[in-house]
Amino acid sequence: MNPILTFVVILIGFYGIATSKNIIKSVFCLTIIESGIILLFLNLGNYEGGAIPILSNGQIDTIVDPLPQALMITTIVIGSTVTALSLMLCIKLFHHYGSIDWAKILGREDLS
Amino acid sequence: MINIPLLLVFIPVVAAIIIYIFKNRWMYFLAFAAQILVTVLAVAYTIHYWGDFESAMLFIGGWSEGDIGISLRNDPLSISFLFLSIFSWWMVLIYKFEPGKTDNTFLFFLMFLQGVFLGLLQTNDLFNLFVFLELTTIIVTILVAYQKVGSSIRAGVYYLLLNTAGALAFLVGVILLYNVFGTINIEVIRNNMAGMGEYNIIQLAFVLMMAAVTVKAALFPVFTWLPKAHGVAQSAISALLSGMIVKAGIYLFIRLNQMFALAEFGYQDFFFAIGVMTAVTGAVFAMMQTNIKLLLAYSTLSQVGIIIIGLVSMETYHGGLLHVFNHALFKSLLFLGAGIIISVYRTKDITKIRGLWRSMPVVSLLMIAGMLAISGAPFFNGYVSKAFISTSLADSTVRYYTFFLINIGSTAAFIKLAQIFFGPKMLSYPMRHTAKMIPLFFIAAGCFALGNFYVPIFDRFFGVDLSDIRAFSLSAFFDYFVTLAAAFAIVWFWVRKDGRIVRELRKVHISFETANYMFVLYIVALGVVFVVW
Repeated sequence: MNPILTFVVILIGFYGIATSKNIIKSVFCLTIIESGIILLFLNLGNYEGGAIPILSNGQIDTIVDPLPQALMITTIVIGSTVTALSLMLCIKLFHHYGSIDWAKILGREDLS
Repeated sequence: MINIPLLLVFIPVVAAIIIYIFKNRWMYFLAFAAQILVTVLAVAYTIHYWGDFESAMLFIGGWSEGDIGISLRNDPLSISFLFLSIFSWWMVLIYKFEPGKTDNTFLFFLMFLQGVFLGLLQTNDLFNLFVFLELTTIIVTILVAYQKVGSSIRAGVYYLLLNTAGALAFLVGVILLYNVFGTINIEVIRNNMAGMGEYNIIQLAFVLMMAAVTVKAALFPVFTWLPKAHGVAQSAISALLSGMIVKAGIYLFIRLNQMFALAEFGYQDFFFAIGVMTAVTGAVFAMMQTNIKLLLAYSTLSQVGIIIIGLVSMETYHGGLLHVFNHALFKSLLFLGAGIIISVYRTKDITKIRGLWRSMPVVSLLMIAGMLAISGAPFFNGYVSKAFISTSLADSTVRYYTFFLINIGSTAAFIKLAQIFFGPKMLSYPMRHTAKMIPLFFIAAGCFALGNFYVPIFDRFFGVDLSDIRAFSLSAFFDYFVTLAAAFAIVWFWVRKDGRIVRELRKVHISFETANYMFVLYIVALGVVFVVW
């Protein structure tokens, strides 16, 4: 996959968070950015015909770079945490305001 | 001894997990025990390795070759931030301590956040830095939304999503740097920065990472999460947010500047302008507010602007650094004091709080100390850093007077806040806040100590001679009174009348889409600035 294409995915995500009016859509757009980043990094560490980075077969010359894969696993975990937390907060917001639209949850200040 | 940085991360985290598993009311003492242990270890570590931090580099898992493994590294900068954050967490822990009423879940997140934050300060690995940044964001979100009312959840989700967008930009920068250097070790990247080709990719990485820092430190176009989050969180959490969590962005700013120093990007003027705009925006919005928490939150914004103004150039760097510590102290003091006031008066509206001086003289004195410090009165710590920055800026007249005007603006908010002291005694119900004043005394003592004994302290930690700045001089008092008079004039003739502009500005709300739009525009602007210059 071409690195330029992954940048396109990332830019679509940024376009999404800059325009979407719905919180759920904002969360999804962040997930899209993150997918683009994961694709980009895996892509940079990969090459055509590279073997999986497990050294038991002794093919140390042909394996792909293992570091991007290790790092992106962590990114996926963090991303899922952020998504889960923000969706949970969306449910709470819906209970409080009856809406998950950024504009509609405003203007009802409750004293805390 | 060499493993202490790792212990500093894991002791609070393990303590937090134990606190969460065994939910009982004695667990607060475990938190104190962990905190004492962290303090003792940090002091022992500093004494042992002082002056020779290079030998104390810690490679986790024995990956010392090939620059692949995670390493923890300390220097005087990170050590000073370390002590500042341990002190801040001490103060918040003491402030929240109520015998018999232990909120274990809250304590879990508080202690966990400390471990994560200490890791953020010490790590020497860019991806690890990203992980700690995201963990900080997640935990702070939970702490902001902790009261589970609508506005706090709204602020929490705003904070989480905007900061995650910033952190993802940071991650793209990390990936680009990995592509160029083949490592994500900060130290190695820094040393190899000069002779590297692929200048454009390094530049793009710098732009993206600086944009992430801008979100984290709440600089000009993307500051909008800060007043929301600080305004609705509990006062203790607001103190921590303003004192330490915003400083994570500042710390990253310093670290990234060090990392890209050999590439010699000419970004100083751009960030000076960003700092000025942040400071002006913060000062203007701060004097419009009537909510005490929002007033303090916007004032944090203007102080962050002053810090950035200080940090961007070599001459003023140490003034900006000193202002980081000063701001952490006096803003925590003001937020904790505001917490006591809010809990006693049951309102956040400063037009309804009256007669504080007659009702609570001790809290009033502490608040006044904080306000004198933040407005830069001689003998308090705010004066030292502001005087250092302004004397270093004296070469350029425009910059000097810009800084002077910013000072006036940021003082005006506190002139407005001072109205809460006047008026008759209003309280009739009993107050139980004596124990909560202990941390306030400590912080006020810290403000006073840094304001008077700055020469030996700074000489010891950073090897910088500050003896040029004298609080006794007549010009210092003259400048301060001019500032006060001008600020008073602004408040008396404009803000106090609560005209249409003031009311409109108070209601300004920047939506999430707009904030993200500005974030993207900011990245583009930063890119254009670098390509053109």
